[in-house]
Amino acid sequence: MKNGYKRIIQRLLPLLLCCLLLTACGELDVLSGSPGGHSKGTETITLSELPEYSGEPYIEINGNEPDFPKEEWTEESFEQYAELDGLGRCGTAYACVGIDLMPTEKRGSIGQVKPTGWQTVKYDIVDGKYLYNRCHLIGYQLSGENANEKNLITGTRYMNVEGMLPFENMVADYVKETGNHVLYRVTPIFEGDNLLADGAQMEAFSVEDEGEGIAFNVYVYNVQPGIEIDHATGESFLNGTDVPGEEFSEGEIRGNSRSKIFHCPGQAAYEEMADSKYLVIFETEQEAEEAGYRKAKR
Amino acid sequence: MIIIACVDKRNGMMFNCRRQSRDSAVCGDILRECGGKKLYMNAYSGKLFGDVEEKNIRISEDFLKEAEEEDFCFIEDIQIAGFENEIRTVILYQWNRRYPADRYFLLDLSDGSWELQRTEELKGSSHEKITKEVYERVR
Repeated sequence: MKNGYKRIIQRLLPLLLCCLLLTACGELDVLSGSPGGHSKGTETITLSELPEYSGEPYIEINGNEPDFPKEEWTEESFEQYAELDGLGRCGTAYACVGIDLMPTEKRGSIGQVKPTGWQTVKYDIVDGKYLYNRCHLIGYQLSGENANEKNLITGTRYMNVEGMLPFENMVADYVKETGNHVLYRVTPIFEGDNLLADGAQMEAFSVEDEGEGIAFNVYVYNVQPGIEIDHATGESFLNGTDVPGEEFSEGEIRGNSRSKIFHCPGQAAYEEMADSKYLVIFETEQEAEEAGYRKAKR
Repeated sequence: MIIIACVDKRNGMMFNCRRQSRDSAVCGDILRECGGKKLYMNAYSGKLFGDVEEKNIRISEDFLKEAEEEDFCFIEDIQIAGFENEIRTVILYQWNRRYPADRYFLLDLSDGSWELQRTEELKGSSHEKITKEVYERVR
């Protein structure tokens, strides 16, 4: 047990020193080995060092080399999530993804989680209309985690689909095909007290073949082309205007977990569903569809 | 020559010097498609196929120069620039997924020189649906 504490102190010491240094410089940034990540990786990402978004959803960092020390290479699956900070924000999520960690059923509802910076707003120029998604840090297809508030941040549709999803797909398909394990770490990056992450660092490394199959280290931007976002609050406007998105608060979407059909406010069976033992609540139609539900015809 | 490649939804092939994806069902289908004829690839790709000597697979780092008209060439981390006119058939395996990419399949199959001859769907061992497309040069 004593050794365990010693190990924790050894791991946290560089983090504490870096925090002190960064605080002294008046510049907050993120350490990939932040609490909850339980990783010895101490590569610091400084927002001021990252280029502004310039049209690509992600950029490679550190030569695309992830930072997983050899002593962390393991062929046993695990997942770890940082505690929320004082502002309710997520920290590092870290996993060793193996087949046994992956889901065996379709994703359930995650609409009850409201990550920091959450706003339900729609824009016609956004794919699927909704500006924000609840973005899994460790994607559902990798860990099977549903409504875990320590694993969900507010991310733009663009960040979710164009930025993070392709990397999740690559890792998921590799693990399924080879049966190997992939160390996988996602660190949301918040500037100062911002409620909306500016982006997320994603790192992955395949263990059994020592990175021959999977190795990357990228930063994904939490932006949406055509829309200005205030990362302090999550508020947004059409570029070059002060026109906010259409707020969407018509009411919850009610899904039937048995029939896999969902009902919107005003539809025929909407009220009946309120007391159904098969009731599953979604916040948006998109969310229901992503969980494998289809909309009722009437 | 007959070029064989695997691509994602945006014609990506590789990211960070690694293939985007793999599926043993594709390897099996490639061998069937070749029907015992010569199949060229480099050493990186050879690892996907196991014991290459039993499968008429020729490993070479310069195989596009060596391949003749009837030969199959499986490409992953190499470009076909400079060999376009040697290609008479292209077999593309579409993963039907989005992956990150920094190397792409750059032959434009929509420039009027190519005709889609057949399409097949495969169930992969780890991919739900892989689409095989066979293009023939028409001019």
